[in-house]
Amino acid sequence: MSSELESVISLCRMVQSGRIEPFDIDFDYVMGVIRKHYPGIKNVKGFCLDAEALKELSSVLERQNQWIAHKSSTLYKDPFMLSQSLMRMDIGAIADAFLKSWHPVVEMEQISARTLAESLGYWGGLIPLDERWQDLEVAERETGTATMQEAYDLGLILTEGFAELLEGFWRELGERTGVGGVIDYWDWIGADTYRDTVYRAYLTVFMVSHGYANVHHDRLLEETKIIHNPEPRPDPEKPKVSLLMMVDYEEWRLWRQS
Amino acid sequence: MAAKLTKTERAYARKVKDAVQLLFFTHHRLPGVRGWELRKELGSDWRNVLDVLDKQIKPLDLQVTRAFDEPDIVEPTSAQLQDARYYITLRGTVDQKTAKTIGWRIDDIAGLAVSVAYLISKQGKAPRVDVERVLQEKLPGWRVKLNLDRYIHQGYLGADEQGVMYLDWRSRAEIDNKKLVDLVVGFGKKEREA
Repeated sequence: MSSELESVISLCRMVQSGRIEPFDIDFDYVMGVIRKHYPGIKNVKGFCLDAEALKELSSVLERQNQWIAHKSSTLYKDPFMLSQSLMRMDIGAIADAFLKSWHPVVEMEQISARTLAESLGYWGGLIPLDERWQDLEVAERETGTATMQEAYDLGLILTEGFAELLEGFWRELGERTGVGGVIDYWDWIGADTYRDTVYRAYLTVFMVSHGYANVHHDRLLEETKIIHNPEPRPDPEKPKVSLLMMVDYEEWRLWRQS
Repeated sequence: MAAKLTKTERAYARKVKDAVQLLFFTHHRLPGVRGWELRKELGSDWRNVLDVLDKQIKPLDLQVTRAFDEPDIVEPTSAQLQDARYYITLRGTVDQKTAKTIGWRIDDIAGLAVSVAYLISKQGKAPRVDVERVLQEKLPGWRVKLNLDRYIHQGYLGADEQGVMYLDWRSRAEIDNKKLVDLVVGFGKKEREA
């Protein structure tokens, strides 16, 4: 019983792969096979096979519909006529026909003067390999112990979980902008010291990627805004948004001066 | 009023420049930019910006072209336009001499033309063995396999794990399918009619 359904499924799949034409399939015959086997289904496997046959048959119908649409379009030419024409043409004539309908894509790969200048700057600041790979001077030190409080004080252990930290940060954003409000990126991350500014930018990236806030970047005006999200959506099932934020020291210095 | 107009014009010129950078330079693995990316970068009037750019590059024999994932779309909706991929392509065509200088042998061009025409006649899909059989009518067997692999690598043709070939992104972007089919079918018609 199942082998008949399986052969019907494989027949339908031949249409999907272009091995046979959509109208080579006799819809009434395939439907008849499915209908014949339906009352005899006794287990889940049988139902799955039945459903699969129906799904494949519906795909055939879809292909038949596309076939009719294609045949009624101006693009349609009888495949036999087309292949006969191709057989009559010599290679030069076929190439000519192709070239008359070919508009190749134009693309450029070029390094800009700015990228070059930045790369040179990077190269200049790069420490030579023999200096970077110098043997580390290791001194033997006595191991010691520290209390939990000392570890907290040194900043080695966070006093609260990361999620709580983000929520606290999100609340601060809400207080400064109002619910659903907007603030300029630098006004939001900017702090008295560069270290604190980097820390706030770091948390902002996580706040945005975890759904606590949104970011809007206007390329024309070169402005970035942080938008408070009234309802945070830290859904672990949802994919996280990856966000790249620049915290340029010069920009921070200018922001401080202004 | 005049100052405001100048400002608008300047903003528009800047948008056209942005469009040039987006469309000419390869930003992803594949060339071209999706409509929604252009909208995001150029604003809601992105289609007008593309029209202006198209006019400006016309004297250079270039044009802004779009290709849909579904080849049969005739009157696209706004959503389909945003999903389409936009490219800069040659407005005119190249002759055999020029094609040779950009690395195409006449056999390679003819092989691609036959593969594309055959796939179009099969509604865009056919088993690789069938395409190979058609090409083997005029090309040696070793060359057929080599050429098909090359067309796949260049993005003109695609093949799935079942060995079914289809027209890939570059064919949709670069080849005027209707014109190709018309030229093939109409070959020798004029002489016969005369």
